[in-house]
Amino acid sequence: MAIVKTEKLSKIYNPDTVPVHALRDVTISFEEGEFTSVVGPSGSGKTTLLNMIGGLDKPTSGSVEIDGTTITGMSDRELIDFRLKHIGFVFQHYNLIPVFTALENVSFIMLLQKREKSEMENRAKSLLEQVGLSDRMDARPKQLSGGQQQRVAVARALASEPRFILADEPTANLDSTSAMNLLDIMEKMNREQNVTFIFSTHDQRVIDRARRVVYMVDGKIDRDEVQK
Amino acid sequence: MKTLLIIAWRNIWRHPGRSGVLIAAIIVGLWAGVVTVGTMNGMLQQRVSYLIDSEVTHLQIHNPEFLTERLAADYIPDHDEITGWLSQDERVRSFSPRVMADGMLQSPVKTSGVRIRGIDVEQESATTTFHENMIEGEYLDAGVRNSVVMGKSLMDEHGLRIGNRIVLTFEDAQGELTSSAFNITGIFRSASTEYDDRNLLVRKSDLYGLIAETPVFHEIAVMLHNEDDATAVVDDLNEAFPEITARTWRQISPELSTLIGLGGYMLYIVTLIIMAALAFGILNTMLMALFERMREIGMLISIGMSRKGVFIMIMMESVLLTLTGTAGGFLLAWLSIGWLGRNGVNFEAFADGIAELGWDHIVYPVISTQEYVAILLVVMFVTLLASLYPAFKAIRINPLEAAKDT
Repeated sequence: MAIVKTEKLSKIYNPDTVPVHALRDVTISFEEGEFTSVVGPSGSGKTTLLNMIGGLDKPTSGSVEIDGTTITGMSDRELIDFRLKHIGFVFQHYNLIPVFTALENVSFIMLLQKREKSEMENRAKSLLEQVGLSDRMDARPKQLSGGQQQRVAVARALASEPRFILADEPTANLDSTSAMNLLDIMEKMNREQNVTFIFSTHDQRVIDRARRVVYMVDGKIDRDEVQK
Repeated sequence: MKTLLIIAWRNIWRHPGRSGVLIAAIIVGLWAGVVTVGTMNGMLQQRVSYLIDSEVTHLQIHNPEFLTERLAADYIPDHDEITGWLSQDERVRSFSPRVMADGMLQSPVKTSGVRIRGIDVEQESATTTFHENMIEGEYLDAGVRNSVVMGKSLMDEHGLRIGNRIVLTFEDAQGELTSSAFNITGIFRSASTEYDDRNLLVRKSDLYGLIAETPVFHEIAVMLHNEDDATAVVDDLNEAFPEITARTWRQISPELSTLIGLGGYMLYIVTLIIMAALAFGILNTMLMALFERMREIGMLISIGMSRKGVFIMIMMESVLLTLTGTAGGFLLAWLSIGWLGRNGVNFEAFADGIAELGWDHIVYPVISTQEYVAILLVVMFVTLLASLYPAFKAIRINPLEAAKDT
């Protein structure tokens, strides 16, 4: 069953001055349990596509459906609430809260969901263990390496129990070892817990590990391949 | 809310130097403001207390005609009944009947218009602190006939000394001019040079003997155990004795009430001026913090934090920052006012000028808990106002900021 479905999705920036067609009638769907990379050169529209799917940006035309709910016409407040409940995000720059410890960063999203304190703490600890940071729970982002910070970001994205995780260039700022380590963790979660990951990337290491690769050029889907 | 409070508090200390400078500015600003307001309060309260204690008293009784015409004939009718009533009322601490006359002082050098008060030394001393103003001689020496005490400045103006004689001319109860020689037995110096230039004190018996055949009084000054009872006592007196007018010190000297009210206004004005300056510091600090955290706030909105939550977080940061400074400022001010309240602020360098205006040159600052609360409310109001712009700017941040490369 498709978790995410887009229908003739288009995005034009500066429509009244110098129009830039970031997406052109993109129709695509993603199934539960996928480990997919959306790849393409800069300006190909991969990040824009992820932003539309994540409800961070609104399309000029077309629609996005998540688990049967069309999010395209939602208000800003509805979108914020929807994202909190259904979508996990991993950003290129980790974007952790610098004044929080790793444990607090992971717990924070559950706090926004108004979960029980004990449940939050247990789940946050469990997720940090899963990403291999059980001994760094009380460290603040500044005290962690880039790879460790990105692993905290993955744990945070998983904490809200989203339907899928959108990861925008998650390995772009990591060295090879950290990148491979992070990919191992995400792949394991996908395989063992059926967590759905959708990446935007031009990192060959991520592309090689993805089971489906969607190639984008000039705002359109050029190829959509399943890898062995 | 607790988490927002924790984030806000920790965010303040991301840049300890920057926050520290602002907090220090708030501490110094508020300290200066509170001490200034406290000093003004002290000056005003001392002035009011001095005037009440030394002359005006909590309430006064007059013949209503005397209040407008000030004629010797307008004395208080049936004063024995009134003084009997006052003696029996438990709220009354003491009272002093006075004989009053506006007249002319003649010395060998010149003449001056003066106000003559005839008092009973014992009753006046029990009621007012005027005797504390005596700097030389006796407070109406009982052994000298027609004894008079004069202000130092008036003595100097006339080139007089203790032992000299002066002639006082005034109207008697029949409207006839009467004159008598008086012997200077003492000199006083009050807080007001202007008062010293215009007032003389004589014994009541010496004065009413010249005004009427029987003892007459134009004024009864009354001190109460508790100043708060003044209005009630005045009402009771006016009801019991319709032919007289009793008035509280606020009615007698509305300018004193105005002075106290002025102190209240000054508190708001001084605090607002200081906070208006500090508001720009708060605004600047919050805007800098906001511009540095665009991506982070974008991330918070991306992952599901409501814009209302972001708004509250920014407002809380400003409030916590200011509250920290306010606590420091108040503590410093409280310690300073405590010390200055015991030792006084000495304006000796301006003592002459201050005396001309009727003020003490040593001021004991005072500030009430209500005034601390009022200052805190002004501080919070200005802080919230200064934080609105950064907070509204924060909630307009696009969640896409989180994904920006730079």
